[in-house]
Amino acid sequence: MFTWPINLLVIFAITTPLVYTLGVKASIKKLVDVWAVIGFILSAISFYPLYLKVSSEKVLIHYWVGIQFRGVALFEIDMLSIFMAGLFIFIGLLTAIYSTRYMEHDTRHGEYYALLLLMVSGMVGVAFAGDFFTLFIFWEVMCLTSYVLVAFRKEQWEPIEAGFKYLVMSSAGSATMLFAMSILYGIVGSLNFAYMHKALSESVTPWSMISLALIVVGFGVKAAVTPFHTWLPDAHPAAPSSISAMLSGVVIKTGVYGLIRVMMLLFTPESYHWHTAIAILAVLSMTTGNLMALLQSDLKRLLAFSSIGHIGYIIFGLSIATVYGLTGSLFHVLNHALGKALLFLCSGAFLLAAGTRDLNQLAGIGRKMKITGFTFIVGSLALAGVPPLNGFQSEFMLVLAGLQVGASRNLWYLFSALMLINILFSVGYYLRIIQVVTLHEPSESVSRVKEAPKPMLFSMVLIAILCILIGIYPGPFVNLANQAAQSVLSVESFVKLIIH
Amino acid sequence: MIPINYYLATAIILYAVGMYCLAAKRNMIKLIIAIEILTSAANLNMISISSHAKPGAVDPLGHVFVVMSIVIGACVVAVALTIALYAYKHYGTLDVRELRRLRW
Repeated sequence: MFTWPINLLVIFAITTPLVYTLGVKASIKKLVDVWAVIGFILSAISFYPLYLKVSSEKVLIHYWVGIQFRGVALFEIDMLSIFMAGLFIFIGLLTAIYSTRYMEHDTRHGEYYALLLLMVSGMVGVAFAGDFFTLFIFWEVMCLTSYVLVAFRKEQWEPIEAGFKYLVMSSAGSATMLFAMSILYGIVGSLNFAYMHKALSESVTPWSMISLALIVVGFGVKAAVTPFHTWLPDAHPAAPSSISAMLSGVVIKTGVYGLIRVMMLLFTPESYHWHTAIAILAVLSMTTGNLMALLQSDLKRLLAFSSIGHIGYIIFGLSIATVYGLTGSLFHVLNHALGKALLFLCSGAFLLAAGTRDLNQLAGIGRKMKITGFTFIVGSLALAGVPPLNGFQSEFMLVLAGLQVGASRNLWYLFSALMLINILFSVGYYLRIIQVVTLHEPSESVSRVKEAPKPMLFSMVLIAILCILIGIYPGPFVNLANQAAQSVLSVESFVKLIIH
Repeated sequence: MIPINYYLATAIILYAVGMYCLAAKRNMIKLIIAIEILTSAANLNMISISSHAKPGAVDPLGHVFVVMSIVIGACVVAVALTIALYAYKHYGTLDVRELRRLRW
């Protein structure tokens, strides 16, 4: 079967509707909520032995069908997979805890938690996949559940519209990826990453270039890299805030993970020279994201646009393709996931208390909800890259890596400069939302709001503490990101486990 | 046996048709059909390649993948049709231009 973290998530996802029915029958409130949280906790616990095993063996191979069949249907788990999967499960756990109070005015909790658990299991599966067959199955599990979760509040018009747009664009991206996979299968004759690395790095043909382009489009749609980002600012605000935190925090990172894995392993930078193209996409993403975010008056829409900007920073790290650049990139994946999840959870708390997402009506709400307001400030400053917080560390690393590589590839001086300008832009709108939310006099619509309930506060405060902790003491986290980056670059150890 | 180039050309044409439909059509159901066409293009490509892998033999790997992909495609269409149904309930139309905020 699929290693324990995924097994547990799937088992709990399947049993969730039963538990929900049981809870309704026995009229125990919150039974299903607790059940889902237990699922995430158990999955996180079972994740730890896997981490220990991988950190000692470097790469772990696991055939999930039980037999070896031409290198298909296997997990190939290295430090990058562990890094990403750990992040997914952690944010999933915090989101589930948050949802226990946030979703209590909604119905259909059984479906909600089943979908949430399945979505996380899909993401973990994508991170573990060692061939395109596995990757595609888990990818689609993740996509399908996220479509339904975006359109979860089906009685309103906005989630339905945004969900349909998201579904059409994202499944067109998936189909493009599938097309690329079929071409790669034609070139290589296998779906395994190791065989593909061998065949593709030996000879660069027009067909492999086409499949590279198609696969960048496929993953780029999910990661919301700029020309393919248009679904994101609609879909992320329309979802329930807990799901927005998942989508903006980790689901788009799955696309980034796919890009990193495929570009570094299959289409190696030495043979394919994609640096400049990816860097241009990165700069485009950050510019569009940050400029558009300046213009928004809807809080969640602003945050969604800033996600595009941050994806730009992360992709910029990939375009550098050195250990230092990838470390910065992966470290920023961690920091952005924490920061953006925190901001979306805070905006959810505001939404629940005041019933609006409009910035003008939310003015001064931070004064009424002191703890939420404080965590909101921490999250905004962290993402803006203000020194003692975590965002600064990774953004600094990325710019530094860009300048370092500029010595050999001069264009990167320009790209780094553009990234610096973008960071300054982003400070503009983060300071604006902080000013509106916490410094203005409370407006009429927020005059009677109360502090958010405890489980919601727990998630937010925990992430805020982590933001500060990583900012002050980044050592172990950078180390983890560094190990992940090194495992990305040590392609040979990944390949020789399959091809002896 | 028909040479593989014809199949590849057909798959690429199908892909182009699907993308054209996505860009030009305004009816929700037609958009869903476009997604199906795109997936079919990839499936056809996979099947034809697997049938030409070795002379006189068919590679089962491609078929496994395509069966999986068809199942997943059915799920995507089910979700898409559900959302289209709710959109119809809200707006009384399937024309995406009538939806207020969608900017395609």
